[in-house]
Amino acid sequence: MSDADTNDAVENEYVEDGSNKLLVKCKFCGSKILERKSGKFVTKEIDLPLMEQDKRAEAKVQYEKINQFFFVENMYTFENIGFTHTIDNCKYLSCADCDAGPVGYYNMDTKHSYVALSRVKHE
Amino acid sequence: MAKTYDYLFKLLLIGDSGVGKTSILFRFSEDAFNISFISTIGIDFKIRTIDLDGKKVKLQIWDTAGQERFRTITTAYYRGSMGIMLVYDVTNEKSFENIKNWIRNIEENASADVEKMILGNKCDLDSKRQVSKERGEQLAVEYQIKFVETSAKDSLNVEYAFYTLARDIKAKMEKKQEASNPPGARGGTHQLKANDQQRKPPSWLSRCSIL
Repeated sequence: MSDADTNDAVENEYVEDGSNKLLVKCKFCGSKILERKSGKFVTKEIDLPLMEQDKRAEAKVQYEKINQFFFVENMYTFENIGFTHTIDNCKYLSCADCDAGPVGYYNMDTKHSYVALSRVKHE
Repeated sequence: MAKTYDYLFKLLLIGDSGVGKTSILFRFSEDAFNISFISTIGIDFKIRTIDLDGKKVKLQIWDTAGQERFRTITTAYYRGSMGIMLVYDVTNEKSFENIKNWIRNIEENASADVEKMILGNKCDLDSKRQVSKERGEQLAVEYQIKFVETSAKDSLNVEYAFYTLARDIKAKMEKKQEASNPPGARGGTHQLKANDQQRKPPSWLSRCSIL
């Protein structure tokens, strides 16, 4: 399946009228992150650090490419979310209850947040 | 998009280094994400949504860990904060004595009407206890601040503490709004109040963005 096909499949399942059709929750503990219809579906390619990193001390931070996000204009739209300290003008988003993450990132310049569709549960 | 909440409160966790402020905000030691990317960087703040008497309240909770070595918390942290959790460690006498210094620091830097609450944390470590619950209560009475013993490790009273502080802030705001409304026109009062509430968070937001 091509990337375009994958996007279409995801859009049908999780996106309605350009925003999240379902509740966005933490994959691990189910903590509510976004209400329905509060994030706008966008595609852009971003390298996000893996949620589980290599535990060896000498290992470098490992990333993966992610290209589907829910865009959140105002941080107070979130129901429950954690913001890390700033690295390279960006804060990573984590679950407010179990601290799993990054589930997305926050841009310090634009003050916009992006939640990765693949890092959360849709219910 | 229409605003989806009624109130937005900025809260701070303050106290000596090592009293468990970060554990109150961040539970990494409890779960499988101990070695995750997130625990390496650390949490700056969290947003939590709670229901208070039918109102949707957003809490933005800031950890001040790492700041306390300067003995004071910088004014930037205090700016716009409406509630402060003063945290000490019941197994550390010094951290309890320092609560008075933190209160002085707040009086000098924070808004005069900021709501405060004292937390005696690590109450699960009873065998190492140096500060009795009674002394905590006494201090709270002296300063007329609410007090509760907590265990971030066992999640004991942590949620209760945030609800209590948030409820006190909300009550204070409603009282203020009542006072600023013209007396008499009882029917219109409620409507005015609702409008006020909607305007309040953005004004605070704009101040907060300076951070």
